Amino acid sequence: MPEAAIDLTSVKKTYKGQIHALREVCVRVERGEIFGLLGPNGSGKSTLVKILLTVVKPTLAQGTMLGRPIGDKASLARVGYLPEQHRLPPYLTARQAVEFSGSLSGVSRVDRRRRADELLETVGLRDWKDRRVSGFSKGMRQRAGLAAALVNDPQLVFLDEPTDGVDPVGRKEIRDLLVKMRSEGRTVFLNSHLLSEAEQVCDRVAILLQGRIVTQGHLNDLLQLKGRYVLQVRWSGSIMELPGCETPRVVDQADPLLAHYIIPSSEPQGAQAAIDFARARGGVIESLTAERQRLEDLFMRAVTDPISGEALPPGAAP
Amino acid sequence: MRAFTAILIDIYRELSSKRLFWLSLGLSTVVVAAFAMVGINEKGMTIFGILLEIPFVNSTVLEPGEFYKLVFYALGVRFWLAWLACLLALVASAGLFPELVSSGTVETLLSKPILRYQLYLSKFVGGLLFTALQITMFCLASFVVIGVRGDAWEPGVFLAIPLVTLLYSYLFAISALIGTVTRSGIAALLLTVLIWGFLFSLNLSEMLVNSFRIAQIEEIAAIDRLVATQREKDVAVDTSDLTLEREEAVSTLATLSKAHQILFITKSILPKTEETAQLLQRWTVHAANLEAAAADDEDETQSKRSRRRGDGNFGTTRARERDVTAAIERDQHGRSLWWVVGTSLAFEAAVLAWGCRVFSRRDF
Ligand SMILES: Nc1ncnc2c1ncn2[C@@H]1O[C@H](COP(=O)(O)OP(=O)(O)OP(=O)(O)O)[C@@H](O)[C@H]1O
Ligand SMILES: [Mg+2]
Repeated sequence: MPEAAIDLTSVKKTYKGQIHALREVCVRVERGEIFGLLGPNGSGKSTLVKILLTVVKPTLAQGTMLGRPIGDKASLARVGYLPEQHRLPPYLTARQAVEFSGSLSGVSRVDRRRRADELLETVGLRDWKDRRVSGFSKGMRQRAGLAAALVNDPQLVFLDEPTDGVDPVGRKEIRDLLVKMRSEGRTVFLNSHLLSEAEQVCDRVAILLQGRIVTQGHLNDLLQLKGRYVLQVRWSGSIMELPGCETPRVVDQADPLLAHYIIPSSEPQGAQAAIDFARARGGVIESLTAERQRLEDLFMRAVTDPISGEALPPGAAP
Repeated sequence: MRAFTAILIDIYRELSSKRLFWLSLGLSTVVVAAFAMVGINEKGMTIFGILLEIPFVNSTVLEPGEFYKLVFYALGVRFWLAWLACLLALVASAGLFPELVSSGTVETLLSKPILRYQLYLSKFVGGLLFTALQITMFCLASFVVIGVRGDAWEPGVFLAIPLVTLLYSYLFAISALIGTVTRSGIAALLLTVLIWGFLFSLNLSEMLVNSFRIAQIEEIAAIDRLVATQREKDVAVDTSDLTLEREEAVSTLATLSKAHQILFITKSILPKTEETAQLLQRWTVHAANLEAAAADDEDETQSKRSRRRGDGNFGTTRARERDVTAAIERDQHGRSLWWVVGTSLAFEAAVLAWGCRVFSRRDF
């Protein structure tokens, strides 16, 4: 098996001896993939990333990043990081901020000049290169921060909610940038709670919940695993229950005889019995659609307490 | 090294983005310009070309070179550099460390391949360097003024650079620590100035108590001398009055010594801002002082007057004023450079180490 970009066997973090932000985390990120770490507020996503970047001291950290133990400073020269709610020094221009970030990572003067130019154009700040960051809007700062994170030509990039505050066009650009980075062979570690976004770009995801990884795997596998079919049947009289289906729902109140059935099966065979049953009782099949489970469903299922049926509250569990 | 250079440039950009930085530079220029406007001739002192006839202040008594040096040390160094310029530098740099640990920027810095203590110390050394640069500019300008106007090219002026930087570094280390702990520039500034004020008053009380203590020692010696001379004239003379006086002086001395010991130990641990600034005078105006003392010796009438009861110094009645002054001066100058600078630097190192530790251990 080739060496992973990140291979954590056990990471724990207890803040101030009482807040168990990370209880037991075990994550593997392959080289050259976009990895999404998902989880509700306060589940410990930022804490995990900060531990990998030596911003927070772990209570326990077993594992490697780019083949070096966690906490090794030298390996950070090949890592890029866009912190959550980052703030560029307001007295710098966008170019100066990017170059400053580069020089701290040990990038030579010539290289950081060139890369600052390129990157600022890539993130769409061509006309703002020499303006002070203090005059930037939130999304523009986020873009400049992204450029600063990439100036050292990193093999591994951590982005903590990179699209926060960015307009739809910018979000699309950032997504494209992530895909471009992947095609250049870089590994991207994305923290997000924007599930639709994660769904569009991530190869693999993990869901973090109250400091524990509850689900981890290839996005396709995870979503396929719990795929479903939606069957629409028009009845002439009253709506009936169908075998192997969840309780029927009427989506459009103006059309009370059109019932939606959800068939929790990833194989089309699972729908056949229901279709036969409905047709035999005078129901007209309007449509049958295979619905890949959305990431949101997977996520909601993961964060819902199976006993009470309510979503878990934000923050670390006591 | 690349990272250190980057941090230096960054500090320059941060400082120069503040109005205060330019204000203090501007004020420095004004001070030097005013300095150049002050002149001395045979009749008296001139300021902006206006003649002030102050007794003893004219070029027949004081060489113009000496005069400029005196003004430089008394006003330029002791007042402007050691007080106002230091204060302005503290104000300008108070935000450096809170900015370092402010959330949103600190994460980026910590995620770089630089050890935390290196970040902290780089920022400290960088901040210091800029203050040193300002002091250097001031001294250079003063050097030229003294040279051109006073016709005395005085390299001793440049001693002010390391000394004032040193003095500033004690305070800056404290400000850095407070800024790191509280993350507030205002808190860093206010507490540092408060501590500075405390150090100043501690120094003042120590000096005073010490002067009284030394005066008592001189007093006892004077009484002993008096008893000896009286005995020489007449063996059977009654000296019980003097013995009583002596006993009183000895008990006062014991109290003063105890008080002084406590103050002295406290002062030994803490940085000595005042004495560091005074080192400059000790080294450069030293010779002039000795001459003044010699002139004092010739002035017999004055010393005779001082010998009278009730005309002494620092609570003495019998000791001669110039003996007391000389003894105090001897004591001051007897304090080694190691004691003044070494113990202050030890304190500074401890404060820096503490700051590094706080910075290195915190979760951001
Ligand atoms: N510096 C800190 N000191 C104490 N507790 C902290 C600190 N930082 C985070 N925590 C706690 O650790 C837990 C995890 O926080 P973290 O910031 O990692 O969550 P997150 O998953 O990134 O949340 P969000 O989606 O809101 O960004 C939270 O309960 C938070 O209160
Ligand atoms: Mg977070």
